[in-house]
Amino acid sequence: MSGKEFFVNRYNELGWKYKPVLLKQAIRINTMNADENEVIKRLKARGVELEKIPFLLNGYWVTKSKVSVGATTEYLLGLYSIQEAAAQIPATIFTDLRDRTVLDACAAPGGKTIQLADLMRNTGAIIALDVEKRRLTALSNQLERCRVKNAIVYFCDARQASNLKVQFDCVLLDVPCSGNFAADKQWFKNRTLKDIERNAAVQRNILAEAAKIVKPDGEIVYSTCSLEPEENELNMDWAIRNLNLKTEKLDCYGEQAPTDIYGKKLDSSIGNCRRIWPGLTQGFFICKLRKRARSE
Amino acid sequence: MKPIADFAKHFGTNLSLDERFVFKKANRYFLINEKLRSLISDDFFYAGTYLGKDKGDVFFPSFSLLAMIAERKEANSVVVDDKSEWLFICGRDVFWRGINKVTGMRKKGELTLVLNTYGECLGFGKMTSDSKVKQGGQKVAVENISDIGDFLRRERRK
Repeated sequence: MSGKEFFVNRYNELGWKYKPVLLKQAIRINTMNADENEVIKRLKARGVELEKIPFLLNGYWVTKSKVSVGATTEYLLGLYSIQEAAAQIPATIFTDLRDRTVLDACAAPGGKTIQLADLMRNTGAIIALDVEKRRLTALSNQLERCRVKNAIVYFCDARQASNLKVQFDCVLLDVPCSGNFAADKQWFKNRTLKDIERNAAVQRNILAEAAKIVKPDGEIVYSTCSLEPEENELNMDWAIRNLNLKTEKLDCYGEQAPTDIYGKKLDSSIGNCRRIWPGLTQGFFICKLRKRARSE
Repeated sequence: MKPIADFAKHFGTNLSLDERFVFKKANRYFLINEKLRSLISDDFFYAGTYLGKDKGDVFFPSFSLLAMIAERKEANSVVVDDKSEWLFICGRDVFWRGINKVTGMRKKGELTLVLNTYGECLGFGKMTSDSKVKQGGQKVAVENISDIGDFLRRERRK
């Protein structure tokens, strides 16, 4: 069970008609380090034309550029980050991040960790984990470049996060996933349903661990850049049935997630999640979960 | 922490950090805050603000530490024009003609921060000649030791 036709038919059944997508480069201004308008002015002077992304806080599409936006002085000084538009959404979903203790469970290469620090204004603490040592070096370089001060990085598998003996107010689970065709030209050739199911199982293990270490009434934001329901709606349905979590309604870019997946009826609260089909952005899925308070 | 304080002195300034909040992991130094201190365990990989590392007897500063030193108004620094800014972050030396302003010592062999016209620290280098008048604009004024273009070079080295 693989190949373009197989997957395109699945998307069709979920209500989306396949179309090829050309992604636009996007940046996010790190407002903890610079005034947004000032950065835009400086980039404009270098020949970088930007267009505000209407559904993001500090996100801009690069519409034209005379220089590489990954090599300007402003980039090297951490005044902005290069971050795909949909990937800028998950960190903004938390209710309130300042002074909180936050876990970024699958953090490398660090785009969302830096965004969390930006939203937290370098207050509180971020514990950032990754399971690949090589990727931790890249993450650390990004933290240094963007002058993040409130993060501790560990070489740790998210499935063993309870070893840290910390209870978190907020947990970001931007879990390893199968990706999507918009961000990977070879996607249809390389992926099978078996891969997807294997990833979904790992994601459930990470979710189970997160549910243990988030405080009662704490928040988990779960996201993937996969279009496959096994990694998204079906995992969320499993989480609310097994992990003392409930979904919360999202008010962000994207459409309501389907609750009927290939004939399987999911809990109606899965409709609170957001599914983003490729188009203006890559494909994405976002869910906000809250751990039920002890009294519930 | 002596290596950090000694390094700052090269720029004609004192930087005293509260030792309770400076952590050394292998040869690397990190500055953390109270909140991080309450959470950190020995096996961390990176924490708070990276300050730099020892390699033998030599201390290699981070760009965060250089930015902290640059906040001291008296620290040795040169402010460079836009063209020299670009050349410097590409790893090149700074010529006298590209310097708009000099603060602090300008003696040959002294360390100096290199700032852009916004006052942002781009790195540091060593003064290679004593004064603009004697050497003229065509001469190298600051030999590049380290610049923020290193973030890109690190990526390429991977």
